[in-house]
Amino acid sequence: MSASQHQVKRQPVAVYQPFQHGLPSLKEYFSSLWKRRDFIFEYARADLHQKQYGTVLGQLWLILTPLILAGIYYLLLIIIGVKGGAERFGHLTGTLFLFYLVTNSIVSGAKSVTSGSKLVLNSAFPRLVLPIAETLIALMRFIPTMIVLLGIHLALGLPFTIHMLWAPAILLLVLGFALSCAIIAATINVYFRDAQNLLPYLSRTLLYLSPVLYTSEMLDQRLNFLTVINPLFPFLDSWSAIMIEGRAPLMSDLILGLGWTLALFSLGSYIFLTREREFAVRI
Amino acid sequence: MSSLSASNSPRTRESAVSIRSLGLVYTTTLDRRPTLRNRLGRLARRQRQTRIVHAVKDLTLDIPYGQVTGIIGSNGAGKSTLMRVISGILPPTSGKVEVFGKVSTLLSLGVGFNNKLTGRENVYLGGLAAGMSRDQIDEKFDSIVEFSGLEDVIDAPMRTYSSGMQSRLAFSVAASLDPDIFIIDEALSTGDARFKVKSIERIRQMKSDDRALIVVSHALKVLREICDEIIWMDKGRMVKRGEPLEVIKAYRAFLHVGSSPETDEDF
Repeated sequence: MSASQHQVKRQPVAVYQPFQHGLPSLKEYFSSLWKRRDFIFEYARADLHQKQYGTVLGQLWLILTPLILAGIYYLLLIIIGVKGGAERFGHLTGTLFLFYLVTNSIVSGAKSVTSGSKLVLNSAFPRLVLPIAETLIALMRFIPTMIVLLGIHLALGLPFTIHMLWAPAILLLVLGFALSCAIIAATINVYFRDAQNLLPYLSRTLLYLSPVLYTSEMLDQRLNFLTVINPLFPFLDSWSAIMIEGRAPLMSDLILGLGWTLALFSLGSYIFLTREREFAVRI
Repeated sequence: MSSLSASNSPRTRESAVSIRSLGLVYTTTLDRRPTLRNRLGRLARRQRQTRIVHAVKDLTLDIPYGQVTGIIGSNGAGKSTLMRVISGILPPTSGKVEVFGKVSTLLSLGVGFNNKLTGRENVYLGGLAAGMSRDQIDEKFDSIVEFSGLEDVIDAPMRTYSSGMQSRLAFSVAASLDPDIFIIDEALSTGDARFKVKSIERIRQMKSDDRALIVVSHALKVLREICDEIIWMDKGRMVKRGEPLEVIKAYRAFLHVGSSPETDEDF
């Protein structure tokens, strides 16, 4: 070994010390997270490939599943006598697809750390990549449903307006919210493996408390508190406004949605980052 | 525990890993699978919920470049935990660990791979998780697969692989990272005899002045052959460090066992 090489080795590449205040250095952490972006994409791509979504039939299934679900719920609305024509069906499909983007992200995100146990036990990397990858998978599964929504939009003759340009911003907020919930669910699931059993019930309850089967205007005055305490409410309401009703989203909904996202992301990442050093001995 | 040095100076004394007053304490649940139900049950019965494990206690040592360092000790001695601290997987509770080079790990308890994915996908995932770029993996992919000897099944799901085949692929990926510090922790015991010979040969080839190899194993005969120095750990502390023959002899005396196939093999 040359003298110059010796000099290179004198500076430690990594220094491991007890965490200060329970948190790692955020600058280093997020820099390391950014370096793993290829890993996140490969993880998501491989997962979708493994579930046959790389094939034509697999992609068709990805589109058919939410479409069938929307059809069943629409049938339910007809049976229970809820009035509404094209716009009602458009609202139902649009919001249902967005709702499943969030719940798919939470349900898969909850298992992300425990199912990635081999990786967690054997490799040093920011554990946040695991729930991020699951949220990305949920997004990749959501994208084909947008094509379905476009088809429905055209078939029902719903308006195309400039307000649709809000879609990327609202989608970004929804993804931030879904990721925050996935991070919290992943942390809880490390400590309580049966917590994921509650998720289908929570998801179903959230669906009924959200403006999917109904619109926010149909809500009884006495239930107006749901618009504030249900974090999904402002997202779904805004999504329906821009995609179906052809109007601008309410500023109050956007502010509320942003508030929920920032609050849950701060809380979720704080809990996750202060706990993730324990994950290797807990799974 | 004070820092101890090897009796014989190897080719270079540059420190690859510097460990100072390292302590690692963690809390774990008493249940094998922690659940809310069990937790509430224990709470209702007023039973203890968790236990505290002192895995590493006040450990100070340097692991130098230019040699193969073996780590031996009984189960629960803290060997694997120490390797995870050096790899950055577990942060210390007290003390400090400085690592003077790029680390590649091949640790026990699985190989860091996803069984549902193909061998090819796992090579990419393993490499990317370890910090390699896609281009770097592309470049090394053929040699990784060739060394593993799994050319025919690389596109089959990993769940169809035997544990030995998984180990072979894991070793090939880890060795391909061209690390400054290469840690192997009881990860090759499931490989077949041919691959063990191949792996040991690769370890010997990798040994150079600017590389540190750390091998944790119960295969005392193999360690005696490949290691320049051995560290014996027990209950989170370093008991002895030095010439392989001398340390192994002391360790065997401590265990009250002689040289036997059981203590020699299973690398």
